[in-house]
Amino acid sequence: MTIATLTKPWQAFSYGFLDASAKRELRRKMLKAIAVPGCQMPYASREVPMARGWGTGGLQVTLTLLKPSSVVKVIDQGADDSVNAASIRSFLSKVSGAAETWDTLAATLIQSRHRIPEERLRADQVLVLQVPNPEPLRPVEPNMSVARQMHADADYGRLWLILYEQIVRSGRIMQGASYPALVNGRHVMTPSPIPRWDLPKLHMAQHLTFLSAGREKRLYAVPPFTRVEPLVFSDVPYKVEDHAALTCHRSGVAGYFMNEIPQDGGGSVFELSDSHLGIKAIRRRDGEDVALGATWYENGKMPR
Amino acid sequence: MTQLAAVPVPDAFEIRTNATFEALMLALSRPGSAHSLPAPGMAGLAETLLDRECQVFCDDPALAEICAGFGAALVPAARADHLFLSLDTPEGLALLEQAPVGSALYPDAGATVIASARLGAGQRLRLTGPGIETFTDIELGDLAPGLWPLRAARCRYPAGFDLFLICEGRVIGLPRSTTIEVL
Repeated sequence: MTIATLTKPWQAFSYGFLDASAKRELRRKMLKAIAVPGCQMPYASREVPMARGWGTGGLQVTLTLLKPSSVVKVIDQGADDSVNAASIRSFLSKVSGAAETWDTLAATLIQSRHRIPEERLRADQVLVLQVPNPEPLRPVEPNMSVARQMHADADYGRLWLILYEQIVRSGRIMQGASYPALVNGRHVMTPSPIPRWDLPKLHMAQHLTFLSAGREKRLYAVPPFTRVEPLVFSDVPYKVEDHAALTCHRSGVAGYFMNEIPQDGGGSVFELSDSHLGIKAIRRRDGEDVALGATWYENGKMPR
Repeated sequence: MTQLAAVPVPDAFEIRTNATFEALMLALSRPGSAHSLPAPGMAGLAETLLDRECQVFCDDPALAEICAGFGAALVPAARADHLFLSLDTPEGLALLEQAPVGSALYPDAGATVIASARLGAGQRLRLTGPGIETFTDIELGDLAPGLWPLRAARCRYPAGFDLFLICEGRVIGLPRSTTIEVL
């Protein structure tokens, strides 16, 4: 082995933007992440043409998986058409030739900021969640070496203490997003700032989920059919947001996670957070032949 | 905004390694299920995973030369992060026993072990754990009988090694999170 034999012929552009050595490093770490569900694996986190903190971790995992036959969906808080989602999606397709879609059913690869689609993901789909802070222990232990030791010891008592203090102060658990969850009965992970509504979708799911934090240089995974149990007290059950009775003012659909839109005069109306589900529901209402997939929540309830 | 002149097209190397990794990823996330590799044999896995950052042990000298060609350092089994072993012999098992398993503090230091096996014939095994809804039964042959007790002794979750078994053009993954019951 010499430098000459390791050197590849000059190319104007690496397919999928990342160079081959970056992809190999990510692949090795992604395999380790699958082997130890919920355990944060360090990785190098290369430069991508986007500021850290805007989804660079998710982007690197997606770029590693991309191939020309991929169909990519990118969502930002449920919306396919926000600037962040549209820019990432067009970048992914530009550097790989992969097709773009807004439809959860058509996608093979879904990169998401802070929502899991309402339609059930299938075994042939991969979900990539962007993670700003991958360390569930950070609020209780800022020293990351000590936090690592706590993960090694499965020493998670202080996370329950946070939840307990919220109950004492406010009468209920106030943790709205990033709700800590025990994965495979061993490691506590933060599921990225998805709402409480979305966390049960990861439990014993059909699909593989990667969670990747580019700024923090760590990634972790939830393989299919893996237990993901939110931390709760035996007498205080896990509660999702109280959105089951809300109706989307545009599509008329009820029973899903909603965005609240304040109105002049103090009231508010609601619309579906999963924007493309809303679009499909409106088209269907208007008589188009549009397929809506099976959803995780049925009539506002997650079947057990 | 500047546009790329053309739609990027992956070269043969990129197509091969992307497909190999996808097979490895699916195999590891659904333990016991067989997935097709673009090319039979272990060299494709080496090409997909190894470079100058890796420390490799191969008991096959020809494969060791291929791995070294990708820039990986050839090291003794006890220091390797990727091991290519023949697990049908007691000597192979002795080497596997030396494979690093990491620790609860650093689970990522556990090795990736790649070996040949026969799928669909031989010892019946029942797998449970992440990636498996209830349980799955598989049959694996051409492996030394001491392998499964050795794996159970070495893989103290979250420490352990992750096993890829290759049968011609197919691969199955057995991550450390899988519990294997010998039937």
